Amino acid sequence: MIPLRQPLREAILIVLMSTVLGFAFTAFAGRGFFAPAGAAATSPLSQSQGSTFVAYEEAVEYSTSGKALFVDARHEYEFKLGHIKGAVNLPLSEFEQRTAELSNVAKDALLITYCDGEECNSSIELATKLYAAGFTNVKVFFGGWTQWTAHHQKTEPAPSGSGEGPPQ
Amino acid sequence: MNRLLSHAYLVVAVRAILGLIFVLASIDKIADPAAFAKSIMNYKIMSPGIAMLIATILPWVELLCGLALLCGVFLRGSSLLLCILLVLFTAGVFSALVRGLDISCGCFTQDPSAGKISWLKIGENTAMIVLSLFLLLSSNMKLSLEHHLRSQPAEEH
Repeated sequence: MIPLRQPLREAILIVLMSTVLGFAFTAFAGRGFFAPAGAAATSPLSQSQGSTFVAYEEAVEYSTSGKALFVDARHEYEFKLGHIKGAVNLPLSEFEQRTAELSNVAKDALLITYCDGEECNSSIELATKLYAAGFTNVKVFFGGWTQWTAHHQKTEPAPSGSGEGPPQ
Repeated sequence: MNRLLSHAYLVVAVRAILGLIFVLASIDKIADPAAFAKSIMNYKIMSPGIAMLIATILPWVELLCGLALLCGVFLRGSSLLLCILLVLFTAGVFSALVRGLDISCGCFTQDPSAGKISWLKIGENTAMIVLSLFLLLSSNMKLSLEHHLRSQPAEEH
């Protein structure tokens, strides 16, 4: 059995020093807990949570009325397997390369991001990136593709002429 | 095994590897605690308040432990702390993988488009747990500031 008293004492000391340094640094640099209220506006998620996330029923309304552009954060092959009608594909990992595809979209247009569902965060990350790119009206349909297909809403499968069918 | 544990250069090499890894891992997190808190929240284990508290303190624990290993002070304490942290990190990644979460690790960079977690991360962490346990059990303190400071008063008498 290795003597743990001294290592424990040292470990506690390191944690205490880290706590002091962590709070001192964030307070001094105005980050984390001490970030000014305005800085939080770099993310759409820092707005009122209720208005940022779109429930399934709202998503259906926006889809049928065509008042919003759905942005699919999943990989291209998943998008081609099926997606919300009218959605455009902008995989998170290809954001920088493909963000120009949204150049025709007005900066104040309502964009709704989604990914697989509640087990992924790409929709939230994509919304944050879109917001940082200047889109001022970005929402997240957090239920995503899983919730959408569970309700058998109208979906748009891969166009037959795309040349890239779904994997068998 | 005892020869390995007391091998001065092996101990120094392991200290350098683990120390560098944790110093490098801490920089991005210290620079942007809010982004790190978000990475923690992606694991869907804790509330935003707790995540921010961890994001405020944990990067400094990593930095101090890394520096301690590099300089050779508080060697046992930092090894113990890193071992505990790595076990917790591994448990977090494991639970995220089991729940099928499609998230970035948040380990070295807070860029959400960085690589997603995979079983490889469990392997990496396990290797680091072995290294930190090795340091905790190691009896050789040579080539460390701690050893240097302790040996000086003895030499004076």
